[in-house]
Amino acid sequence: MLNQLNVRARFETRITLLQLSLLLLMLILLSRMVYLQWMQHDGLMLQAEQNRLNVVPILPTRGSIQDRFGEGLAVNHVSYQISMMPERVNDMKKTMAQLIGFMHWSPRQIRRIQKRIKKSRKDRPVLLADKLTWQQIAPLSARLHHLSGIDVKAGTHRYYPYKALTSHLIGYLSLARPEDVRRGFLRSEHVGRSGLERIFEQRLHGVLGNQQEEVDAFNRRVAVLNQSPPRMGENIHLSLNIRLQQAAAKAMKGRTGAVVVMDVHTGEILTLLSTPGIDTNHFTLGLEKEEWSSWLNNPQRPLLNRTVQAAYPPGSTWKMVTAFAGLRHHSQLARGHTRCPGYVQLADRKLRCWKRTGHGKVNIHDALQHSCDVYFYELADQLGMPALRQEALAWGFGKKTGVLLPRESRGHLASPLQQLSHGRKRTWVRGETMITGIGQGQTTVTPIQMARFAAAIANGGDILKPHLELGKAPEIIRHVKVNPDDLKRVREAMYAVANKPGGTAYYRLRHAAWKIAGKTGTAQVVAMSQDDAHKSKVPSEDAHKDHAWFMGYAPYDHPKIAFAIVIEHGGHGGSAAGPVALAMIQELKDEEDQRTQSHAY
Amino acid sequence: MLTETFQKLDKFLLLCLLLIAALGLIVLYAAVYQGNHAIFQKQCIYWLVGLTVFFIICFVPLRSFALMAWPFYLISLLCLALVPIIGDVHMGARRWLDLGLVSFQPSEMIKWALMLVLAHWFASREPNTWKNFFVAVALCGAPAVLIVMQPDLGTTLVLLFAAIVVLMVAGFAWKWFFGAIAMSPILAYFIWGHLHGYQKQRVLTFIDPQSDPLGAGYHVIQSMIAIGSGGIFGKGFLEGTQVRLHFLPEQHTDFIFSVLAEEAGLLGVTILLSLYALLISRMLSIANHAHTRFGSLLVTGISAIFILYAFVNIGMVSGVLPVVGVPLPFISYGGSALLTMITALGIVMRVSIESKGMIPWQRANNPLV
Repeated sequence: MLNQLNVRARFETRITLLQLSLLLLMLILLSRMVYLQWMQHDGLMLQAEQNRLNVVPILPTRGSIQDRFGEGLAVNHVSYQISMMPERVNDMKKTMAQLIGFMHWSPRQIRRIQKRIKKSRKDRPVLLADKLTWQQIAPLSARLHHLSGIDVKAGTHRYYPYKALTSHLIGYLSLARPEDVRRGFLRSEHVGRSGLERIFEQRLHGVLGNQQEEVDAFNRRVAVLNQSPPRMGENIHLSLNIRLQQAAAKAMKGRTGAVVVMDVHTGEILTLLSTPGIDTNHFTLGLEKEEWSSWLNNPQRPLLNRTVQAAYPPGSTWKMVTAFAGLRHHSQLARGHTRCPGYVQLADRKLRCWKRTGHGKVNIHDALQHSCDVYFYELADQLGMPALRQEALAWGFGKKTGVLLPRESRGHLASPLQQLSHGRKRTWVRGETMITGIGQGQTTVTPIQMARFAAAIANGGDILKPHLELGKAPEIIRHVKVNPDDLKRVREAMYAVANKPGGTAYYRLRHAAWKIAGKTGTAQVVAMSQDDAHKSKVPSEDAHKDHAWFMGYAPYDHPKIAFAIVIEHGGHGGSAAGPVALAMIQELKDEEDQRTQSHAY
Repeated sequence: MLTETFQKLDKFLLLCLLLIAALGLIVLYAAVYQGNHAIFQKQCIYWLVGLTVFFIICFVPLRSFALMAWPFYLISLLCLALVPIIGDVHMGARRWLDLGLVSFQPSEMIKWALMLVLAHWFASREPNTWKNFFVAVALCGAPAVLIVMQPDLGTTLVLLFAAIVVLMVAGFAWKWFFGAIAMSPILAYFIWGHLHGYQKQRVLTFIDPQSDPLGAGYHVIQSMIAIGSGGIFGKGFLEGTQVRLHFLPEQHTDFIFSVLAEEAGLLGVTILLSLYALLISRMLSIANHAHTRFGSLLVTGISAIFILYAFVNIGMVSGVLPVVGVPLPFISYGGSALLTMITALGIVMRVSIESKGMIPWQRANNPLV
């Protein structure tokens, strides 16, 4: 039997002990609550707020790019996208079959889409296809109410209405890459990759807006609390005249080359055409790998912006530089004349004039008008390399023009010093100075440098900074001091090129709408490829044809525009490049007439 | 007899119960008002049924519970043994027994049965003997091993702690417990070796809930955020964002405490903890003044289970104890848990009624049973 008194005493102490334990446990819990609800309150409150609030960015509308008359060159088009919420789809197989029926997806696209669905969360929308036109989406959207879990939404995408015509100038966009994300872009944003889209990225982009939403534990939106709208990007008005660019492109007739037209007083660029171009819409509308590699491997290099990124030997257009140098240094020949027998005899070789029979007695005017090589061989020989080089630098060659376009080339000025420093043991010979004087040899220039040179001749020696923004104040980089009489002589000779019988462009340009002063150039390619690394990639007969140049300004009496045209392997400058100038002048004249007519009414 | 019994009712205990019931229903309403109103209505019905059962039990002589002790214990143990053979698998563990009409967890039943059988065994027996020690070890060990095998670590620990409390007040000297505790590392090692991955994960997550913020620790972190963001006065009735936006898991059952803490703050929490302290303290006082030793031990066992439930549940949702599925007494939604606990409280009330005006069991040579 139980020793009751003993057991009772122990029972009572232990009940008391239990009472105390109860109190202790409750105090432990209470202190934990004080810790969480009082001491940790602020931090945990913040976490509760972060839990329930979700800030969703709203992408800004990108600014458009327009030409000088407001014509859209880069605009935003409405497009549609299809997404799927897998958990809301009743019958995945049937739904997919119907979608395929409506959308005509290729087997590869179908595989890609199915892979994407498999990898995604079931409660989040999965993007199936985007950048669709209304025509593509119409049959599906009519049946949308039969397809649960499928959603069609409207959005915008970048569209370039002039396609290949403006591809180099305008450039294109692509989705933000990891390095852009590090710079603060969102993964879903588009960023300018090349051309003006890249240069004006900051101004075009606009400012992100955001929407503060209350979300539940499953990240479903419960309410919209706050909204700060995005700020649209700036619309950029270019000085470009797209109709002029179209006229130039038409006259190029599919040949490879570049055309630059600029205002002789302001430096505004009116045309900046590089052919062939690419349709940059393919970048936004889903570029196929094959298409991209076909562009990369195309021997005509459609991705190259020839107006600023390619440098060509200037050919006879360079004779103006030699002429100015001669006049500046009061060379006897520049004031006098020489006889052209069709060649110059050097010790070991004959330097030929393009006209085998020779030009006879020529002064500087005749030499420019007829593009006599012998005259300029001799002039260059008298002046020597330093004077020629200095003159070229003065007119802005050998340096970047500073136009706001990516990867501008500076061209190259031939130099005896550089020749030695290149490690080649060959010494500079007299004949090289002479061919430099007619724009052959190692000298290369970009079309935009050449257009600016023409503008400087037209405006009296102002080297302008070419720019693309309408109404921007002109920026004169340097003024080249030229004796007005000397300038007049060169201008008259350039006028004669296009307007006097015997001028190298007379036959093509005599009936131009505006009187043109210009200079043809025919840059020898074969001569170049003898010892230079510049091996042509065009494996055809054309590879040996010369590059055709034509540069100049118009109208002759009161210049407005200057231009430079280069056609790769185009042959003779006057006949190949001249008609492009003719077509552009005609277009400008027509536009002027239209304006005066509309003013008259 | 009816009025006599009603007069003998412990009004303080009843008041505590009703206050907890009211608070519990308000919190439950807040937890489910956005979703399933049926849950709140069902719980109201459970309370009505429960209170009816409670008053009926007040008329059942204590002696009949003593008679039921062994059969109840053996049937519970049998059901427990049947679980691994014919039980249903829920969440990777086999715990439920489906008897056609009702499906229930034998592990829930055995706790109460063990309290009953221990109280019955030690009501008339000397505690500090090897024979009775081994009887106690066998009575606790058999269900404990079966529950560990399910596996359900939480219930096992609750069962063992409650049994230890009963054996303590039954009069076992400390040396018996120290001996058992000295053996426990070996036992723990044995248990750990047999734990399933998800249970090990639960214990590990308990040690550092932040280590796995999207996995097992997610619920505890969200619960702590709910509690902490409530502050001193809470966010207001139906204003808790963690509740409203479903960041709380199981917010009407195991995690209902967080709803109270978020919406009523430290103030509401203090009220609930005080009510629990008063209720259980009153129960221990009833045990102390019980007329029979059986009554004392049974009420102590019931109190121990209540203490453990409340402490483990609140400790778990506030991140000081691992997550084990233990309800918050009288607050968590659930008919069977509520009915079981209210029946237990009815037995406590019956002990109180029978002891009213009687001398506690040590003074006179009154019969022990």
